[in-house]
Amino acid sequence: MASRKESSSVSSTAMASTGGTLDSPVKQIQIEGLVVLKIIKHYQEEGQGSEVVQGVLLGLVVDDRLEITNCFPFPQHTEDDADFDEVQYQMEMMRSLRHVNIDHLHVGWYQSTYYGSFVSRALLDSQFSYQHAIEESVVLIYDPIKTAQGSLSLKAYRLTPKLMEICKEKDFTPEGLKKANIGFEQMFEEVPIVIKNSHLINVLMWELEDKSTVADKHELLNLSSSNHLEKSLQLLMDRVDDMSQDIVKYNTYSRNLSKQQQQKHQYLQRRQQENAQRQSRGEPPLPEEDISKLFKPPQPPPRMDTLLIAGQINNYCQNVKEFTSQNLGKLFMAEALQGHN
Amino acid sequence: MSRFFATGSDSESEESSSADEITPKAPGATFKQSLLLSDDEEDTKRVVRSAKDKRFEELTNLIKTIRNAMKIRDMSKCLEEFEQLCRAFLKSKNIVDKEGVPPFYIRLLADLEDYLNQLWEDKEGKKKMNKNNAKALSTLRQKIRKYNRDFESEIAAYKENPQESADEEEEEKEPEDSGSSSDSEGEVSSKSFLKKKPEAPSEATKFLKSAKGSGDESSSSDEDDDDDDDEDWGSDQSGSSGETSDKEEGKTSSMSMLFLKKSQDTEKPGVRKEERKKKLKQKERIEEEAEEEGGEEAGGGWEKVKGGVPLVKEKPKMFAKGTEINTAVVVKKLNEILQARGKKGTDRAAQIELFHALAAIAAENNLGQGILVKIKFNIIASLYDYNPNLAAFMKPDMWKKCLDCIDELLDILFEHNNIFIGENIAEDSENLAVSDQPFRVRGCILTLVERMDEEFTKIMQNTDPHSQEYVDNLKDEGRVCGIVDRLLTYMENKGSTEEICRVYLRRIMHTYYKFDYKAHRRSLGLQGETKSEQDQEESEGEDSAVIMDRLCKFIYAKDRTDRIRTCAILCHIYHHALHSRWYQARDLMLMSHLQDNIQHADPPVQILYNRTMVQLGICAFRQGMIKDAHNALLDIQSSGRAKELLGQGLLMRNMQERNAEQEKIEKRRQVPFHMHINLELLECVYLVSAMLLEIPYMAAHEFDARRRMISKQFHHQLRVGERQPLLGPPESMREHVVAASKAMKMGDWRTCHSFIINEKMNSKVWDLFPEAQRVREMLVRKIQEESLRTYLFTYSSVYDSISMATLSEMFELEMPTVHSIISKMIINEELMASLDQPTQTVVMHRTEPTSLQNMALQLAEKLGNLVENNERVFDLKQGVYGGYFNRDQKGGYQQKQSYQRDQKSYQQKQSGYQRGGYRNQNQGNY
Repeated sequence: MASRKESSSVSSTAMASTGGTLDSPVKQIQIEGLVVLKIIKHYQEEGQGSEVVQGVLLGLVVDDRLEITNCFPFPQHTEDDADFDEVQYQMEMMRSLRHVNIDHLHVGWYQSTYYGSFVSRALLDSQFSYQHAIEESVVLIYDPIKTAQGSLSLKAYRLTPKLMEICKEKDFTPEGLKKANIGFEQMFEEVPIVIKNSHLINVLMWELEDKSTVADKHELLNLSSSNHLEKSLQLLMDRVDDMSQDIVKYNTYSRNLSKQQQQKHQYLQRRQQENAQRQSRGEPPLPEEDISKLFKPPQPPPRMDTLLIAGQINNYCQNVKEFTSQNLGKLFMAEALQGHN
Repeated sequence: MSRFFATGSDSESEESSSADEITPKAPGATFKQSLLLSDDEEDTKRVVRSAKDKRFEELTNLIKTIRNAMKIRDMSKCLEEFEQLCRAFLKSKNIVDKEGVPPFYIRLLADLEDYLNQLWEDKEGKKKMNKNNAKALSTLRQKIRKYNRDFESEIAAYKENPQESADEEEEEKEPEDSGSSSDSEGEVSSKSFLKKKPEAPSEATKFLKSAKGSGDESSSSDEDDDDDDDEDWGSDQSGSSGETSDKEEGKTSSMSMLFLKKSQDTEKPGVRKEERKKKLKQKERIEEEAEEEGGEEAGGGWEKVKGGVPLVKEKPKMFAKGTEINTAVVVKKLNEILQARGKKGTDRAAQIELFHALAAIAAENNLGQGILVKIKFNIIASLYDYNPNLAAFMKPDMWKKCLDCIDELLDILFEHNNIFIGENIAEDSENLAVSDQPFRVRGCILTLVERMDEEFTKIMQNTDPHSQEYVDNLKDEGRVCGIVDRLLTYMENKGSTEEICRVYLRRIMHTYYKFDYKAHRRSLGLQGETKSEQDQEESEGEDSAVIMDRLCKFIYAKDRTDRIRTCAILCHIYHHALHSRWYQARDLMLMSHLQDNIQHADPPVQILYNRTMVQLGICAFRQGMIKDAHNALLDIQSSGRAKELLGQGLLMRNMQERNAEQEKIEKRRQVPFHMHINLELLECVYLVSAMLLEIPYMAAHEFDARRRMISKQFHHQLRVGERQPLLGPPESMREHVVAASKAMKMGDWRTCHSFIINEKMNSKVWDLFPEAQRVREMLVRKIQEESLRTYLFTYSSVYDSISMATLSEMFELEMPTVHSIISKMIINEELMASLDQPTQTVVMHRTEPTSLQNMALQLAEKLGNLVENNERVFDLKQGVYGGYFNRDQKGGYQQKQSYQRDQKSYQQKQSGYQRGGYRNQNQGNY
């Protein structure tokens, strides 16, 4: 039953964002229940607080649908085994899985998140390398906190082709991003997810539902909201601070740039005048100098981080919005109930 | 000593027979050489003095060598020196023009000429001379003849009356010559009678040593006294001859010594003995001195001859026995002694003794108070000079002597109204002799007393404050105060305004830091029956407050130097503060505007300022003005260098920051221990004030992101307390305050109270206040009030309403007080509540934002910043492009301006936290 519920909630979000995925090789993701459970189990066993757990997704592509059929976690890093070879470990894992006849194709990776904060440079880089190597790769983001509140939160993301281009060229200057005409909205595309279980499992679920008594805990109906909101706000605030700083940096840069431009302009004018005078006096004009050497343009601040922060802020906002709308609904419900009693 | 001998012998060769010249020649030559050496040495070591002194010294030195050369008939040397002398004389022409030709110079010229003539005539001697000498002789003779023509009149005068010129002026000029003539005055007279009588008895009765000395010394036997200012008594005696006695007599009579001389003539030895005995009785010291001198002189001479040891220091000499002593003589003597002052070889202790002896002699001979005052001045001055090092302090006996002397001096000044003293009285306009005119003496009693005061401070600085010695020294403070007081009365009659200001300041400096217990008692109305007689006597005096007021006001009105006024104001404030007159103290501080410009003052004044501020703070604390106390103490305490700032000790620092020199200077600035302000008390007062302010503030602004610390130091102490892994019961004062603060944070005033006021804290801090009990009561009250406030801040969110009766019970405050505190909090919008009159309860309004709301507010603020920053980027773009390329895009630019106006209104709205406005604006922006 749980899985069914999940699938419905997930598919609802998936529906919303199908529009953006057009010319990508993967239009839909089908996840085995096993994978979901394994991810959840992994976090519960190893992740705590803001710590993040990661793992590898295995599966195969069928038409434009990516089927994720299995996964395995990356071991948690400790200081002791600094020379631990991840690649080696992955290869060995896959080989072993292959021996037991499990899909062994690498189709992406998963990561847990803390209050929806995952849009970072690290994620971008690793997803880029995945997508660069294996075209159909996705990253699954699992939000344990939301899940704990009663609704499974699992989302699949891919980098948009535009962003792929930029990352390939490594051109993160303001001009480059401007040329690419990319905003934070167009960085990631969300791929709809469907959770699919075998019929046998579905049957089992139905049976279990009948047998089991009603669960005592109804996290879904929890009315308290301030804790979650506070955390989100705190994170949001931090990001906003970062953003402010970046903006200030950019501001300084553009001011310097314009100042220099002005100087350059003046210099050129002066040079022109002088040349004109010399010409009138019959002297040879001054030799052309390399202006770019005279005026070294200021180092432009990389804008990719700003974009990522914007994306992250957007993400937080979505989270908060979602959370508050759900909570409001609950509150109205509770009020109605109270009035009824 | 050596020089007496030398000059003596030169004169001998000139006047007396040269018969036995040859005999002394051989031994004489050698020792003279050594003497010469010693002379030179001494001269070079001499301290530089006025141009006149210097020049004349040079001349006399040259003369000395010439005379020596004359004695050994070394003509070439003579010639050489003479040429040098002429040059030196030319050089000092300026001074000569001013002063007249120095008589010693004339004398030399005359003597030299005589001597040369004599040699010239002595054909036999001339033949014996070697070629060089003979040649030099003739050259020199010609030269001196020519040269002397310029000084004909002077030389003639001199020849006519060689004594007089010697006596009158010589003394004044010659003393430089390191004492060679120091006793000249005495000698003249001594000679006069000595010559009258046979040598034998005098030798027998007196100065055996000197007799022996002169006996041994063959060369001195033919010394002559004719012109001789520079001979000494011993040689005189032995070398006497009848020739000069007649001359002498004439002269001495002119000096009005006739009577003395006559009487001594008749029964010389007896009189002398008597005189000595008398002296012995009167002043043993003088006697010893005289004897010592005599002995030393003779002994010195004797030693010289034998060992040729150069005697560097001057021989102290008093008047010869029987000299007629009058003002002029004493002054001369005084000057002689003074000349030696500051010279390297001078024995300062001996000098002081000399002065004392001189004073005694002056007193004995009734020379009048003028001279006595003069001598006293010099005694005190030389007492101060005793220590060559500025850092060193006086020895106790010196100090006692100094006090005595000043006391005596003041006695004299008080007794005799006709003595005028002042620094501006020139040396030559002094009137020391007894006459109808009032005495005029150069010297400044005020300076002496000021110096004395400084010495006292120095002594206190250099005494271990925890020793009995310190207590003993401190007992002298009374005397110092007494002297200052007497000087004050004296100055009030005689002194100029500035002088009065100065002496007033001294008086103030001795008064301001003392707590006036009798005034305190009087104000409490306790005075009376229980007091002992002495106490009553004490309380007769004026209140120190009245005195301070009078003195300070005078200074405010009359002083023209800024420094004295500043010091007076500070002392006045300090005194007010010390006696809990808070408002006067504060008003004076504010009116003086010292806070603005104190940083331009010199360090001692700054230290005084710091002391005053601290005292002001402590005073405010006693009065329960916690905030004022905190503000006053903040500067001193926050630096963490209170000790240094108050001049109560040096902080440990490495040598890079401060070298030895600076350290010495800083040490000199230290305030003596008995004036210290207790640093622990200071810190405790500060921390408790900070606690009373900070804890309610912290409670009130728990969620405020922009909360400021009131007191850094207090927070530091709190943190230190938190860091403790194991919290035991508080030991130190700081721990007590920290523990109390923690209790107060919970609104637990009883615990807080028990931490602040208990046995330990009482003995450490609170009992140090004069009105300890009152302060403690005030403190309890404050703790209750602030705890109540803290409690309300911290727990108001828990209550819907709370009864004031409960609160009043909890904090043991009366209802009206509770009511007023809560009302104040409500008015200041610190507490969102209202008072319900009928039920006497406080009803909470719950308008305090929750933490989530706080967060949201903060976020809104941050977003505001972000938008603003974003705007700036946009601005720049607009500006650049608008200015450069698209000049016609003015519209956009203006739009932006209007937008900026919006922005402002947005900010206003935002500051009011109106979310609606915020959202609207946001939409407008994008």
